[in-house]
Amino acid sequence: MQQWICVICGFIYDEAEGMPDHGIAPGTRFEDLPEDWTCPECGSPKSAFEPFVG
Amino acid sequence: MSDNAATPRTEIDSSVFNPFSPEFVREPQDTWQRMLRDYPIAWHRELQMWVVNTHELCSAILKNNVFTPNFRMWEHAPPEKPEAEKNDFDKAFDHSLFTVSQKQHLKLRKLTMPAFSKPVMGRIYGKIEDLVTECFDDIGDAEEFDVYDAIANKLPVRAIARMVGVPTDREAFFHDFAVNLIMATRPNLSPKQRDAAIEGTLPGFAFFRELIDERRARDEPGDDFLGSLVGASEDGESLDDYDILAVIFALIAAGSDTATDLHTYAIKGLLEHPDQMQKLRDNPDLMENAIIELLRHGSMGKLPFFRFASEDVDFGGERIGKGQCILVNLSAAWHDPARYPDWDKLDIERRLDGNLVFGAGAHFCIGTYLVRVQGGLMISEFLKRFPDAELANGDGDIDYDYAHHNARRINRLHVRTHQNAARRAA
Repeated sequence: MQQWICVICGFIYDEAEGMPDHGIAPGTRFEDLPEDWTCPECGSPKSAFEPFVG
Repeated sequence: MSDNAATPRTEIDSSVFNPFSPEFVREPQDTWQRMLRDYPIAWHRELQMWVVNTHELCSAILKNNVFTPNFRMWEHAPPEKPEAEKNDFDKAFDHSLFTVSQKQHLKLRKLTMPAFSKPVMGRIYGKIEDLVTECFDDIGDAEEFDVYDAIANKLPVRAIARMVGVPTDREAFFHDFAVNLIMATRPNLSPKQRDAAIEGTLPGFAFFRELIDERRARDEPGDDFLGSLVGASEDGESLDDYDILAVIFALIAAGSDTATDLHTYAIKGLLEHPDQMQKLRDNPDLMENAIIELLRHGSMGKLPFFRFASEDVDFGGERIGKGQCILVNLSAAWHDPARYPDWDKLDIERRLDGNLVFGAGAHFCIGTYLVRVQGGLMISEFLKRFPDAELANGDGDIDYDYAHHNARRINRLHVRTHQNAARRAA
């Protein structure tokens, strides 16, 4: 399980936690998010994310 | 003419929207609600720009790269100077986050992210906490104080100055630089005003170039913000002086003068809604959400964001011509009943997914976490020091800077602290 950060706004998507409030189950890998998924904070596309090591 | 030949464009004038009228600055709601209802998008004949009002259209425009924040794309922008005649402002502008290609923009955002993203909020907190304490120490146990003078006019510019490494004794100089920088590319100002503002930025650019030179001369540039930019590299490329000046430019534009209004409107919003203030006292974890909601509810923008069409485009049922200016009227959008049915209610527990309070898309506010930390520290300290505070004389003797170029700037808001009564009771 990995974390991904939006380089535009800094939002972190944590695969282990998912986003249950948004219908994304814990354990959902970033690559399995829909291609049209956007950052919930700033609306940037998936391409604005990169792996994050905290 | 860019009108679609078949359908004349929707037009408004100052009888619908006059952002410079004192009545609008004091009471903008009726105007915003009328525009949201009747003019989701319209060409403003006097302002010579499109005005986009609804949440849906504002969100779409911010996420559509056809609409650029690059001032040079404006049909009325002054012509670009020959390279040999460019001054530091022009060169930094060429490298700015608003001007460069999408690829370069992403590169600059990646390089700056480590200093300003959510994971480093704790570090930002540590850097500016004492500035907040100092503001409140200066207020002391006064029975009454002015939020604008004591906090809003001091804290944002000091916080940005601290982040970029400006010594305390140069803060006034830095403040002038910041204001001129923001005014230098405003389409709503005259060419003469913009030229004066550009002139006013030059001493600031010279100051920062000296700081950069000094860092480059060191064996190690340092691990603070400026040092991290001087030492940064991406794909084997490093940032040149104007890349770094452009990032400083962006931070100042995003986080100094604009953040001034956060403090006045936050305190006003809380004191006008004691139930929400108590809720925040009881549950400080709500702070970040509360700040976003206070900004949304206060809606302090007069002429919030501009974009320029980089090509002819059909948008929102209108034909927008290449080079035309678009006012992205976020202040109205934040009160759009289609998005927020109870838009006039302050609710610090409101679910704010997809809000546009810090913009959206590629140019999402770079200083957002700095502002959230700054606002959170200020509100926490305010709640702690003045538990019995209220607006003086009911409305805080509120007054506005009606001439402010882009904000419904509150420049007087008196708070009565009731410190004397508290002391007597103790």
